[in-house]
Amino acid sequence: MLNIEQMTKVFFPGTVNEKVAIEYLDLQVQEGDFITIVGSNGSGKSTLFNLIGGTYEVTSGTILLNGKDVTNAAEHRRAFTIGRIFQDPTVGTAAKMSIEDNMITAYTKGLKGLKVSLNAAKRALFKEELAKLSMGLEHRLKDNVGLLSGGQRQALTLLMTVLSRPKMLLLDEHTAALDPRNAQIVMDLTTAFINELNLTTLMITHNMQHAIDFGNRLIMMDEGNIILDLKEQEKKSLTVPKLVQMFKDIKKQEYASDEALLTM
Amino acid sequence: MLEGIFVDGLIFSIMVIGVLISYRILDFADLTCDGSFATGAAVAAMVIVNGGGSGTALVLAAISGAIAGAITATIHNELKIPGLLAGILTMTMLYSINIRILGGRANVPLLRIDTLYTQFPRFFSFFSTSWALLVGTLLIAFIIKELIDIFFRTDLGISIGAMGSNEQMIISMGANPKTLKIIGMALSNALIALSGGLLAQYQGFADANLGQGMVVQGLAAIMIGEFLFDSNKISLITLRVMLGAIIYKALMFFGRYYGYYINLTPSDLKLLTGVLVIISLIIAQTRSAASSADARKKALRRNKERREHQKEDQQHA
Repeated sequence: MLNIEQMTKVFFPGTVNEKVAIEYLDLQVQEGDFITIVGSNGSGKSTLFNLIGGTYEVTSGTILLNGKDVTNAAEHRRAFTIGRIFQDPTVGTAAKMSIEDNMITAYTKGLKGLKVSLNAAKRALFKEELAKLSMGLEHRLKDNVGLLSGGQRQALTLLMTVLSRPKMLLLDEHTAALDPRNAQIVMDLTTAFINELNLTTLMITHNMQHAIDFGNRLIMMDEGNIILDLKEQEKKSLTVPKLVQMFKDIKKQEYASDEALLTM
Repeated sequence: MLEGIFVDGLIFSIMVIGVLISYRILDFADLTCDGSFATGAAVAAMVIVNGGGSGTALVLAAISGAIAGAITATIHNELKIPGLLAGILTMTMLYSINIRILGGRANVPLLRIDTLYTQFPRFFSFFSTSWALLVGTLLIAFIIKELIDIFFRTDLGISIGAMGSNEQMIISMGANPKTLKIIGMALSNALIALSGGLLAQYQGFADANLGQGMVVQGLAAIMIGEFLFDSNKISLITLRVMLGAIIYKALMFFGRYYGYYINLTPSDLKLLTGVLVIISLIIAQTRSAASSADARKKALRRNKERREHQKEDQQHA
């Protein structure tokens, strides 16, 4: 599904601010994988997503998506295969447009034509889909998205991403900005959609328990590379203290700040 | 006299819809407008002077505006400079181009030549001349308003609106924001130039300075319209913009007509327009401040009532 080889990303090359964010990273993702990604701040998790998604250009290395080389493909081209959800609930939806307008934009990917496809049948479909969120949004199709709460907006973003039928999901701490109850709702919906549509998923999280509970594979990143890659059986027997211990063993040092981040 | 204000306002309203598309829908602070309005007038005048007919004149004016808008969007897209600067660049270049179009002159009269506004009275001969002009302009303005309403209900129109609100979302949905910006800006400036082409025919001349201060006038009209009513439906938004444009023209008319009592000259109208925009902004701000103060008061009152209830309950207990 996704094949990353020897990928390197250097920010501000040739200046005093030069920073190597990702170095010689290799990653193979199989179809149907649900990978959780953990790591301290600045370890390169979000940069990895921005490179896969196409927001940043890679400095060197190749990215194959479904066997196709997308290393230099534009972000909006990759978006046909990749659906992304960000931490900030306002990024995924257009605040000044109504819920139905947002949903029709998501319904067909790519540059749209001069067709009026927002008709009664579509509205009925959208109502049905919104009802799945059980947030009462199905009665508010004509309300502007800016009027919704953060949790509602993130749930809508998730629904829109699913409507656009991606093959792969990149979730960048997409529940981190929500209160515990809404975070739970959005997380439940996420797993339901992933299972229903068999989506290949990469999920960044700071919640160690989530990282262990969800998915079939766990990756830990540090200083721009993958330092731990646990699959199926290894992952099933994992607990939070074990994971923290593994991190310490690899680092052979105790980073008080890192530990604080990891044991959340 | 009153018909004149409406004709003037309706022609102006087509331009304001163009400004609405760039400022409000695309969220693109576009100054191309000041140049493309005059370009539309110049193209229309030259087509008519050279015997091209009034309808062709309008179509070519709109196309010239679309090209100007597309150039601004391309400069913004490819050189990655802010839209404001891209617009200023195009506007400045258009000033020279407009004089070229007008054949090296700053002014081309359309006297004793057939224009739309000499054709209307013949076409609507059952009306008096001034009413015929009004009906003809109204027809054009409403056809354009309807077309714009339909456009912004299509998938393409909706995605242009969504891009103005959140560019990342459009990228995530697989569309190239650069393309959408070019389409949106071309449409916006096509309307602006079309309005310029109409005005040239109405007032009987094209002038290289016709576009000066158009952006601010357009913004003033949009803001006046926003005081009228609140809506997120495109048909009502374009309607209120048109009403705002007519009200603005009426205000300016009365400023000109009665202004001399307080020593106002026509050259003061730009100052008046700017002041009008500032006043609109102040009113909008005090309005939202007032409503949040009101909400605070209500919340305090509810809180107080609740505490009193609790006290009563305790006393009963």
